[in-house]
Amino acid sequence: MEKLYWDDFEVGQVLNYGGMTISREQIVEFAREFDPQPFHVDEAAAAASPYGGLIASGWQTAGLFMRMLADNVLNKSTSMGSPGVEYLRWHKPVRPGDTLRVRHTVLEKRPSQNRPTLGLVKNRFETLNQHDEVVMEMVSIGMFLRRPAAGKDGAA
Amino acid sequence: MIHFEDLRPDVEMWFGPLTVSAEDIVRFARQYDPQPFHLSDEGARDTIFGSLAASGWHTAALTMKMMIGDPNQRVASLGSPGFDDLRWRRPVYPGDTLRVRLRCIDTKPSQSRPSMGIARFQVETLNQNDDVVMSFISIAMIARRPGN
Repeated sequence: MEKLYWDDFEVGQVLNYGGMTISREQIVEFAREFDPQPFHVDEAAAAASPYGGLIASGWQTAGLFMRMLADNVLNKSTSMGSPGVEYLRWHKPVRPGDTLRVRHTVLEKRPSQNRPTLGLVKNRFETLNQHDEVVMEMVSIGMFLRRPAAGKDGAA
Repeated sequence: MIHFEDLRPDVEMWFGPLTVSAEDIVRFARQYDPQPFHLSDEGARDTIFGSLAASGWHTAALTMKMMIGDPNQRVASLGSPGFDDLRWRRPVYPGDTLRVRLRCIDTKPSQSRPSMGIARFQVETLNQNDDVVMSFISIAMIARRPGN
């Protein structure tokens, strides 16, 4: 299958994908390594916190979103990474057993100023849970290869 | 423990260091960001990275690990609503040693919860050459000192 180039994304396009369920063990394993705040690793401390129970590190939610983006879009594309994220908000906690999916809206696109083979795409990514609540929202930029000009020699 | 009262603009803290291995990079990427340039040198060869490079989300998670893991500089964090203007400025490669500079931008009391305040921090992650590899503006909920 031909990969998606920068040229193939359309402003206004909405893509829906994902469906990953996160377990208690995954939440604790990630948090022990990267973000061992009590409400991410300790059931009793989490129950006593304002969150009322164990919740995933927001950085793990970002990682799970990234996994869904990579599996469903980037690995079928000419992705060259990302320069960054305009903003990210963690709107609601992610809890054990939650199933996450992504609503991906293409906001803008433009050619790269300094790399003629690349184009930039600005996207809004909303990560939703099984209750259709937005748990995380971000706007970020992706870099993709532009489709090489075909048939330059005029053969047609 | 660093509480909301201890923070004012220009308060600066350093965290780290932490060295990233190729194994760490690939292990994180397999789980959370399995793009070819985060999985092998081969997969990165014809990309702007040139050789195996860490997922930007891995760099972010390692930054959190350094900030949260220093027993001498514990911040009374109550979580975060998010961040602004995150930039992945340079790739992180195997063997890079990272550290974090945290600078308080501003603080304000919470309207709804008198036991805490909101602080914004400029977070910069640097490598062993003092290049900034990642930066963002963190928004954090910080507890006030009990009894105040």
